[in-house]
Amino acid sequence: MIDFNHVTLEYPVTRTLALEDLTMQVARGEFIYLVGHSGAGKSSFMNLVLKRALPTRGEVRIAGEPLSRYRGRRTPLLRRRIGTVFQDNLLLHHLNAYDNVAFSLRVIGVPQREWPQRVTTALRTVGLEHKKQALPLQLSLGEQQRVAIARAIVSNPPLLLADEPTGNLDHENSREVLKILQNVNLRGTTVVVATHARELVETFRHRTLTLRKGRLVRDDPDGGYSL
Amino acid sequence: MMYHLRQALLAMRANFTATFSTLTTMTITLLVLGAVLLLTLNVNRTLEQLEAQVEVAAFLKDDANIPALLGQVKLYQGVHDARLVSREQVLAEMTRDYPYARDAAALAGNPFPNTLRMRVERVQDSRRIANIVQALPGVATVEYGANYVDPAVKTLNAIRTAGYGLVALLLLGTLFNILNAVRVAMFARRNEIGVMRLLGATPAFIRMPHLIEGVLVGLIAAVVSVSVLAASYLELAKRVAQLVPVFPIVTDLNTIAPILVGIALLSIVIGLLGSLFATSRYLRELE
Ligand SMILES: Nc1ncnc2c1ncn2[C@@H]1O[C@H](COP(=O)(O)OP(=O)(O)OP(=O)(O)O)[C@@H](O)[C@H]1O
Ligand SMILES: [Mg+2]
Repeated sequence: MIDFNHVTLEYPVTRTLALEDLTMQVARGEFIYLVGHSGAGKSSFMNLVLKRALPTRGEVRIAGEPLSRYRGRRTPLLRRRIGTVFQDNLLLHHLNAYDNVAFSLRVIGVPQREWPQRVTTALRTVGLEHKKQALPLQLSLGEQQRVAIARAIVSNPPLLLADEPTGNLDHENSREVLKILQNVNLRGTTVVVATHARELVETFRHRTLTLRKGRLVRDDPDGGYSL
Repeated sequence: MMYHLRQALLAMRANFTATFSTLTTMTITLLVLGAVLLLTLNVNRTLEQLEAQVEVAAFLKDDANIPALLGQVKLYQGVHDARLVSREQVLAEMTRDYPYARDAAALAGNPFPNTLRMRVERVQDSRRIANIVQALPGVATVEYGANYVDPAVKTLNAIRTAGYGLVALLLLGTLFNILNAVRVAMFARRNEIGVMRLLGATPAFIRMPHLIEGVLVGLIAAVVSVSVLAASYLELAKRVAQLVPVFPIVTDLNTIAPILVGIALLSIVIGLLGSLFATSRYLRELE
């Protein structure tokens, strides 16, 4: 699903080496963690997959297609196949939960008559069917993050990227979010979670990649948090 | 489409100041442009009429070979028509206008020479033709109307040029205003735009509300300025027709309508171009 081949990313403006000679694969349907200290390059990895940053050297392929194929106008097509969840949930504060999720469908041109069913299903997946009408500010942080997950999966992307999805959440909410991500994974979606949360990585075990200063230092198929 | 329209209206309301200032400069620009165009139209009409009347008059010596001269000047380029007015006819004309001329003529003999009167096709040609005719044998002196037409043409041309210069500046100002307004509107929406891009929105989708906003502003400016122009011009035309009936002011709707329609279209096109430019620049910066 994701294929990095000797990828180096040096941000042009600051000349920081965010990733160095990274080679790794994520298979279709896998669930992986990306762990590492702050500044290790986790978000940079996500940026490369989303084509928000271009590799300085090397090649990134998603579903077998090199990202260099997604030139200019085709970049949106790439992003439609990738759901994203961030630490800051990026919900639109003037829209209620339902509309925030539906926004994802509107943006990619899904006909309106399909919205109610798809949005409802997505909200049910994250356990918030009863909070459709609530504005983000009327929801707890955990609930907001769950709405963000619903928005990311409502378009049925084959790949879901979650960058510190539990960064702002307490234990209970973090576990809840992790369970939801696992459920999404069980339905066939490839899931990549970047996180600092040792407790989660050790509780819900999955393949874990460890980055240190932009280099891949560990690829543990059985999981486990070791920095 | 309804969604984009609603977003455009929301954005215009949210950024009322920028929208309003764009609207104002745009309307003023169109008003000035309209005024200059209508002025030009009338100036041209007036010049045409003057040109149709401009004559070169050659006063002949007594021994001039009149038929030969007449035949020759008719061949000149730019001479529309030439005819001889005999000294008797001139005297008759003068007597009609100034009755005592007959008494003077009775005392001193007819003072007027035989005269060749030539119509020229264009005012600019009259000086050249006058010079050529002056050199012909049998011609005493030449007079032509350009003496008074020339300065008039120059003044009006200068006014027209200044008007176009002003319009060009105003158009530029309008364009910058639109660019600024669209930028402000997009900046206000930056969170939403960020999310849209992440979700896979196409640039066309993201910019659509702003393009609609540009066209709407153009449309509103067009409606306001064209109505004001039409109303005030027709009122002015009526006054002029009453005060200076000889002035050939254009009131023909078939001539004025295309100008007004053109101004309206220009306004919409500027609105669209401005927002196209601003949105593509904004989106490019994000890349
Ligand atoms: N847009 C950017 N421009 C320039 N440098 C950047 C940019 N984003 C990140 N960096 C730098 O690249 C390096 C890797 O950053 P990255 O955000 O990938 O780390 P991270 O693992 O996500 O850290 P955190 O856990 O704090 O989120 C850091 O040194 C950071 O300062
Ligand atoms: Mg990060």
